[in-house]
Amino acid sequence: MKHPFQNIEATSTHLFATVKNSLQVFSLNDGILVGEWLDTVDSQQNLVKQHQAKFEQLQKQEDIKSSSEEPETKRAESNSKTKIPKFPTPGPGAPPIYNYIRCLELTSDEKYLIGTTDSDKSIIIFELDFNSANCLKLVKRQVFPKRPCSISVADNNTTAVVGDKFGDVYKIPIDCEPPIDEKLLKPILGHVSMLTDVLVGENEGRQYILTSDRDEHIKVSHYPQTFVVKHWLFGHDEFISSMIFPSFDKTLLVTGGGDDSIYLWDWIHNKALASFNLRSLVEAYLNESHYPPERFRTETSVKEICVVKIVSSGRKIFVLLENVTCVLYFTINEDLTFSIDKVLDVPHPLVDLTISENQLIGASDSENILTFINIDPFEVVHNEISSKIAVLNPCDVSSRDDFYPLYAMNNLRKRSEH
Amino acid sequence: RAHSNPFSDHRLDYPKYPESMDWGKFYPAYHDKETNQMTQDVEIADIGCGYGGLLLGLTKEFPDKLLLGMEIRVQVSQYVEDRIIALREKHKKQKVNYQNIAVIRGNAMKFLPNFFKKGQLSKMFFCFPDPHFKQRKHKARIITNTLLSEYAYALREGGIIYTITDVEDLHKWMVEHLEDHPLFERLDKEWEAQDKCVEIMYNATEEGQKVARNKGSKWVACYKRLPTPTI
Repeated sequence: MKHPFQNIEATSTHLFATVKNSLQVFSLNDGILVGEWLDTVDSQQNLVKQHQAKFEQLQKQEDIKSSSEEPETKRAESNSKTKIPKFPTPGPGAPPIYNYIRCLELTSDEKYLIGTTDSDKSIIIFELDFNSANCLKLVKRQVFPKRPCSISVADNNTTAVVGDKFGDVYKIPIDCEPPIDEKLLKPILGHVSMLTDVLVGENEGRQYILTSDRDEHIKVSHYPQTFVVKHWLFGHDEFISSMIFPSFDKTLLVTGGGDDSIYLWDWIHNKALASFNLRSLVEAYLNESHYPPERFRTETSVKEICVVKIVSSGRKIFVLLENVTCVLYFTINEDLTFSIDKVLDVPHPLVDLTISENQLIGASDSENILTFINIDPFEVVHNEISSKIAVLNPCDVSSRDDFYPLYAMNNLRKRSEH
Repeated sequence: RAHSNPFSDHRLDYPKYPESMDWGKFYPAYHDKETNQMTQDVEIADIGCGYGGLLLGLTKEFPDKLLLGMEIRVQVSQYVEDRIIALREKHKKQKVNYQNIAVIRGNAMKFLPNFFKKGQLSKMFFCFPDPHFKQRKHKARIITNTLLSEYAYALREGGIIYTITDVEDLHKWMVEHLEDHPLFERLDKEWEAQDKCVEIMYNATEEGQKVARNKGSKWVACYKRLPTPTI
């Protein structure tokens, strides 16, 4: 069977999809594969390099010591103290190491595609050239100290703004210049807990960075003067997983995460405008898998709702929840409230969701690979390019046991034992 | 344990936002029961207050201001809380009655903005913070470029950050990062010499007294929060 796509992004003409360490680009017109890239960096290889560097360093130290004028006894003593570290090889029972490509982001001019790799904690920047046989031209691979986990674009598509799992945010030029030594990277702003999403907003000629984290924070900072915090948007009770500016009004922000609710904000003036509780809409779609892990379960445990992705088209807001067979469709009303238009059944859970013109495209947890949803009317439609694209997905697995974790967002929920 | 990991998910209470904080629990003498409002805001914060020595030293120096200790270690914060309760009881008929100091078990690195409004604080103290000696633990240090932006948010313009440590390397780290931050400016030795808080910081904390007994050095650095530049 085919491994589901893990991340998808789309323009009006093309679909970008990742599965394991593969990145593929398809024409939405006919399903033809027009670009492909495989991350051949092995995270184990990274460890080999680190070990060799360490070994060489110790070797140097040995040489320095043996050439010094130290008395023989002292030298012998210090020699015996120098240990050659064992090469770290994972033992049996070690957790599996996944080499994903995560977090696809397109520049608004659609010239560049940016992703993140787990193998060496990099962002990868591709220039898109649809006149080439392979439209993906890797122009930069930038390594970070910690795994990058969210990307946005600033400065009129010339700067990538990257958040990492340590809570730090960096800016990287989108160009063909060589990458910066990771030791020389300085964060432009930070959180203390894991950063989950980053956006670049604009208002009255000024730029801002909005960052969200696992500790319920949404921070609004000036950009590029990121040392000035404008304010925090307080209100969430759980981690924030997804933030978007609805396309009809970029002074608004829609957010969702581990709460039961999604929120609408006037992010410039620090006002919570509306919220909508999703539980009654999706209760029927929650199953045993939505309970807390066994060791955290109690008599009163409830099934947990986790927003994975929010996408927008004008006033229309579409919400994808983790491991459920539905997509929620809201409207932002004139009076800046939410109303629910429809809870749409989809045949299989969706792993990711994106928008292309008047259609939503879902990465389906099924052999069908993709689910196409018309926006108006809001319904699942059959699209024959799905089967063409499915054939081109390079990841065959023998069973679901070989799937990478498809529903890991809810792991961001804090479960304290002490 | 002397160390506490600021990144862990401690079972901590913290308000959802500053206005939702029930300060009346901590400063009942400053809580107007009629209006259910505080008569004034907390203004001085001791981050990592340890056993509370600085709070006790400052309470009579600033009798008309509210001071808060934040301490992440549960046994230590409980000790300080009990200490303050006992002192309030013992001195309740006296002028210095300890009603203006309180302690919260809290992680200031993560949740300072949940407690304090923009520009609420006039002073922040960082006395003998955990040096986190290992290179890979430096992110856990209480003073970093990115955390300083959050401290600058909570501090009013002209407010002061006070630092003191007996670890020279940590002192240099804090100076380097504060110097590097556009919203902070170093106050000179002359200023330090005339500031009462510096003197109290030197002598009032348990850690400071211990260092003095051991004839160790103490390194002080104080910084003023500059006006926010026009953007």
